[in-house]
Amino acid sequence: MIKALAVRCWNFLASLQVTIVALVLLMALVVLCTLAQTDLGTLGAVNAYMRSFLVWRQMRGLPFPLPLFPGGALVGLVLVLNLTAALVKRFDFNPRKLGLWVVHAGLILLVAGEFATGAFQVDTRMTIEEGQTVHFLESYRQMELGLSDVTDPAHTEEYGIPDPLLRAGASVPVPGTPLSIKIKRFYVNAELAPRAAGDPPSMANMGVGANVKITETAPAASDKEGNATSAFIEPVAGGTSYGTWLVSSVLGAPQSFIHEGRTYLLSMRPRRYYLPYAVTLKKFSHDIYPGTDIPKNFSSLVHLSNPAKGEERDVLIYMNQPLRYDGKAFYQASYGKGDTLSILQVVANPGWLLPYISCALITLGLLVHFCITLFNAIKRRQLSGETA
Amino acid sequence: MKLSKLFTWLPGLIALAAVLATALPPARIRGFDMDKFGRLPVLEGGRVKPLDSVARNALLMIRSKQSVPFEGRELGPDEWLLDLLFRPQTADAQPVFVINDPDVLGLMGLKQSANRYFSFDAIAPRLQEIENQARAAQALESAQRSRFQNAVVNLYERLLLFNQLENSVQLGDSPGLYLELQALGTPQAAERNKSLAGAARFRILAPLPGQGPDAWQNTGEGLIAANGAAPHPALVSLALAGAGYKAGQPEAFNQGVAELQGLTANLRPQALRHADSEFLFNRIQPFYLGMVIYVLALLTLFASWLWRRDLLQPAAFSLLAAGALVHTVGLVSRILLQGRPPVTNLYSSAVFVGWAAVILGVILERMYRKGFGTAVAASAGFASLIIAHHLAMEGDTMEMMRAVLDSNFWLATHVVTVTVGYSGTFLAGIIAIAYTLRKHIAPTLDPATTRTLVDMTYGIVCFALLFSFVGTVLGGIWADQSWGRFWGWDPKENGALLIVLWNAVILHCRWGDYIRDKGLMACAIFGNIITSLSWFGVNMLGIGLHSYGFMDQAFWVLAWFVASQLALIVLCLMPRRFWAARTT
Repeated sequence: MIKALAVRCWNFLASLQVTIVALVLLMALVVLCTLAQTDLGTLGAVNAYMRSFLVWRQMRGLPFPLPLFPGGALVGLVLVLNLTAALVKRFDFNPRKLGLWVVHAGLILLVAGEFATGAFQVDTRMTIEEGQTVHFLESYRQMELGLSDVTDPAHTEEYGIPDPLLRAGASVPVPGTPLSIKIKRFYVNAELAPRAAGDPPSMANMGVGANVKITETAPAASDKEGNATSAFIEPVAGGTSYGTWLVSSVLGAPQSFIHEGRTYLLSMRPRRYYLPYAVTLKKFSHDIYPGTDIPKNFSSLVHLSNPAKGEERDVLIYMNQPLRYDGKAFYQASYGKGDTLSILQVVANPGWLLPYISCALITLGLLVHFCITLFNAIKRRQLSGETA
Repeated sequence: MKLSKLFTWLPGLIALAAVLATALPPARIRGFDMDKFGRLPVLEGGRVKPLDSVARNALLMIRSKQSVPFEGRELGPDEWLLDLLFRPQTADAQPVFVINDPDVLGLMGLKQSANRYFSFDAIAPRLQEIENQARAAQALESAQRSRFQNAVVNLYERLLLFNQLENSVQLGDSPGLYLELQALGTPQAAERNKSLAGAARFRILAPLPGQGPDAWQNTGEGLIAANGAAPHPALVSLALAGAGYKAGQPEAFNQGVAELQGLTANLRPQALRHADSEFLFNRIQPFYLGMVIYVLALLTLFASWLWRRDLLQPAAFSLLAAGALVHTVGLVSRILLQGRPPVTNLYSSAVFVGWAAVILGVILERMYRKGFGTAVAASAGFASLIIAHHLAMEGDTMEMMRAVLDSNFWLATHVVTVTVGYSGTFLAGIIAIAYTLRKHIAPTLDPATTRTLVDMTYGIVCFALLFSFVGTVLGGIWADQSWGRFWGWDPKENGALLIVLWNAVILHCRWGDYIRDKGLMACAIFGNIITSLSWFGVNMLGIGLHSYGFMDQAFWVLAWFVASQLALIVLCLMPRRFWAARTT
């Protein structure tokens, strides 16, 4: 009885119906995800439709969202299970089907690669001005409360508190310093304006924040706009408070206080990830076609310095030609400041090779299969020609 | 026997002879050697091209046609450009601006009528108002503009282009280059030459010996440089040609142009050769002629179903072959002229999709010899060239490639493969349409032909899956090389993925026996919808890294196409001649 049920389940899992339904569902998801990009931005739509197991929708009048549609992750998982089951169930060493087996093995790898990308890929960026040396990456989305010890003009000591820790009411000790930071209020996104006469007093009593009016806003939806992440904070050391400050990613002016002879600079900035090597931008080039403003090429000539490995070399990063180093790929992404500032996109994806391998497999499999089919067709035609 | 064989090839040969005849130079107009003028190379839009290309592309953008009717004659693009450069008052009176939008017409105080073409003089009184409206609309992103705002921005951009061209060799109110050369050194001249240098659309003065290949100058820059130094020799010849044209003296004009040509031949022989080839390409218009030949092939084939099939079906095939040859020569010419793989933008993708479908159709016809290969190939070729013809209104079709696209390797591999995948999916869809129409129209259904159509469709779907998949994957690899991710769910990528998935769905349904002939055909027609949305619909979303070619007006055309395909699917699934009364 149980055995019969198991057999039926197994047969169902390996069946072609499941494949077809899953493929059609995937098509519907792709269409929905594409259309949703106008409202949610690419990342928002991909997270909502492709990287989720269920697509949730908040219905009017209901206190909780409802799962309306299977998500890309679920469909992908079903496809992989279905394919694996089909491969196991129907596998026989029939050379005529060899191509198809290879194709489907490659497909499993391709979907696995997309899962790996969704789970492990980390996107960061590196912003360098010409002549500047940078040894950290910046997050695109996460922010941190930056604390820079600038006492020694030759060497700045950097500390950062990532935004998940910046919750109102929290008190976060800064490792390596005697300081701890009280978070009084935190805004994922906010609008800042000069405080007018009638506005309520600011929470800040130190720095520029005292004259700023701040209004909380919804987090940015599209990929283009960034958040103006802000917080009211109070640095405390040994029982002494240094006042309440407003820090925000859109406030450029440096704000600092002195504790026991050491000067600390406060800032809200993109979260930093420090590297064991440094990159110097020697030259950024923005070539255009003569007589037009159509860009022909963007390139960054950088110097890579990794003393631990004894590496000192120049690298030219340009369109379609990233630098792959230390498990990361550095791409020319953007530029600024009158072509003296280069922004490199830095991607770490441990699964980046998977699509390449799977593509090779699938292409090979398709070629084998179509050669076999073509060969058989020609043979059939010849046979029927002889009999006719 | 041999005679009838010759007769079947005759239509194709005649078509080719007619194509060759268009390459012959036309007679001089009013004695002016406009041909030689049109061949002169200039630098515009980042590349060297003949003046004829500048004139044609501009006229296409402004008027959507390659000629202007004026004073009882049709002016060609070169003559129009000459008027614009040297007889601006005349050019301002020529009806070159096509305005279709009723609200824009209303803005100018005009009613919608049969006449849709207006001269600059007719628009001039409302210039300020148009500029104000366009500036206000330009502040919005193009996706948020209303139809009127898009139309007024479009008109404003065409007016700017017209104005730039008019001020490209000398200012519109200039007494001529001779006097400009004599006036050098005066403060007014410095001012005038500065504004000329800023306004000019193209650079006509070839780099002098010792200068780099990109150092082309416009006449304004040339006049500024000539202050206190020897003028660029071409300036003097240009002055002669201009004065001759203005005064109606062909000898002076022809001499000036001949001098210019000689000078360029010395300075930049390669530019002159390139301009010559492109000029010839422009004059023959292989894609337009190919389109005409495809229509003839289609008509001949239709006729063959009514009369003398033995004679007309091969004749139709010979026309198809002639059309394919002209199409191929055009495609190869573009590749050589541009130094790029065949697909570089939306326009060339249309040309290439059609070409690949035609070649596949020719192969199918040779394999099965039922006439259906000819029918689908000719309709695919005709449809794609019509689309390309309309896409050419957007400007220079051999524009330069933006930085990330500037990679011949990926253009040749990813773009070509994915486009062949489009061709295959469309071809399968067209065969399925032929199947549907035949099912309802043909008096009797020969089962062998039905079998052939189904086999063809099945084979083409396999082919399309192979190419669209490999092309999509190559695109992923390119994206990994340039943007740091293999797959980003970008709209264009999603469009390509949909084609792959749909072809896979069709094949799996077929293998599982969930669909038979009719279902296969209906699915193949649905493939047309998916491919057209992926090809053009994505550009209308205006998001994502791939949306280089945004289109405003094609939306409704696409909507009608989708509706027509849905209707065909229904027709395909209905029983044969369902409308006729059933006999008992």
